[in-house]
Amino acid sequence: MKRLFRNPGRFIRFILSFFVGAFFIYLWQLCADLRLVSPVFLPGPDRAWAALVNGLMRGELGHQILGTVERMLYGWVLASLLGVALGAMIGISKVAREYLTPTLDWIRPMPASAIVPVAISLLGLTDAMVLAIISFGALWPMLLATVHGFAAVEPRLHEVSRALGLSRWSVVWKIALPNAMPDILAGMRIGLTVSLILTVVGEMLGSRDGLGFAILLAARSFHSADLFAGVILFGIIGYISGQLMSLAERHLLRWRQRG
Amino acid sequence: MTAIVKNLQPRPPASSNLISFQGVDLELAGRPILEGIDLAIRPGEFLCVVGPSGCGKTSLLRLIAGLFLPTRGQVHYDGKLVTGPSRELAIVFQDYGKALLPWRTVAGNVSLALEAMHVPRSERANRIASLLAKVGLTHHAEKFPNQLSGGMQQRLQIARCLAQEPKVLLMDEPFGALDAITRQTLQDELLRIVADSGATAFFVTHDLEEAIYLGDRVIAMKANPGRVTETFEVDLPRPRDQLSTPELPEFLRLRRALFDFIKDAEA
Repeated sequence: MKRLFRNPGRFIRFILSFFVGAFFIYLWQLCADLRLVSPVFLPGPDRAWAALVNGLMRGELGHQILGTVERMLYGWVLASLLGVALGAMIGISKVAREYLTPTLDWIRPMPASAIVPVAISLLGLTDAMVLAIISFGALWPMLLATVHGFAAVEPRLHEVSRALGLSRWSVVWKIALPNAMPDILAGMRIGLTVSLILTVVGEMLGSRDGLGFAILLAARSFHSADLFAGVILFGIIGYISGQLMSLAERHLLRWRQRG
Repeated sequence: MTAIVKNLQPRPPASSNLISFQGVDLELAGRPILEGIDLAIRPGEFLCVVGPSGCGKTSLLRLIAGLFLPTRGQVHYDGKLVTGPSRELAIVFQDYGKALLPWRTVAGNVSLALEAMHVPRSERANRIASLLAKVGLTHHAEKFPNQLSGGMQQRLQIARCLAQEPKVLLMDEPFGALDAITRQTLQDELLRIVADSGATAFFVTHDLEEAIYLGDRVIAMKANPGRVTETFEVDLPRPRDQLSTPELPEFLRLRRALFDFIKDAEA
């Protein structure tokens, strides 16, 4: 941000980028006002905003947001812990890597949404089912990033650890894990996006109370303004979680900055 | 004076050697790297190794460090067979950038060695401070390695090695990537540190003058396969001085002898 204001050219572009965004909202309003699409399907930003404020005032949207964000975070945290732990176990040993890679390569490309029916048959229409889908889908980026980060430790650092007589556990904790940190954080960012997507899918298919299920109901009952309010909220949730992730990255990877 | 005294002292008997090679051959991936190495290093000695590139200087260092094991023959350290790395021998690598933990501060990097030695947390801060003072990094304790110059990074690596309280410092062209002025400063700091700690030093370099300036003895190697072919005793007074030492006739004689040797070795 500071750099933004030091450079006037960048500052002007920053301001203009807002106008571009505003212009698109204006186009949307124009389409709605001219009734290019029936208002049953496309509300203007004015009606979507009103529905949003109304929903928040009545408290039901807040409740749904909470349910969705909670589900997304639990799934993501679970996937992160599992991904990093499994990735570390695989990454630490060359033998484990060689044996497990084909299996992982086979499971990984499976679309998580295809797992939903399996999860439903095993766990029923429960929160546990939704959580399982989210963690399954969001697991891979973290797992692969950790495996890669562990495998890519500078050989010199292995020699340093041997010369210092570091225990195997210390090497994992003090060298391999911090070395994998940039990869892990990049994986966690992707995992966060995947978690949000699968939260929506899971709620819709599992009929769990949350924003995803709410927009499905709104669409089915032609409450287009409520539907759009929900979509806007998803955008906001995605944006905020991404920004928080950037903040965490900047703090945890501050050793990369020069100067 | 010191030179004369040293000359009068009898050479310690073989059993008191700190490090010894007996008929060591080293092959890596089937290729002969070192052949027929017989070498003895006295405790407290500053031994420099020179030779053309590819002659196995670094491999020799790695054998002492226990990072390589001989294909034939034996390497002994302090009377015991070397079977792996020991904390009593610290290694200063040439590529300091790769040997430091980029995510740890200067203090944190020194701390790594103390953590490895299970030094209690309460004692670490004091020891880190005194180690950093020894290498002149006191005011940079909270910086990360990539915020330091090359010379400072190498100082940090030396500080981490000293934290091990090593009996032997193994150095693999530690100043090779530094500019001339920084190199001279670090040479003098190193001599002071080694003298203070009484450690034995094994110093690999391709800079012949550096070898003479630092060493009590210089061994010269030839390549294909790597072998030690000549030994030069360096009878120059200590403390050494960047200006006057290289002007001494003995320094110039050794310089000439080593240059002739290297020209011959590379021919």
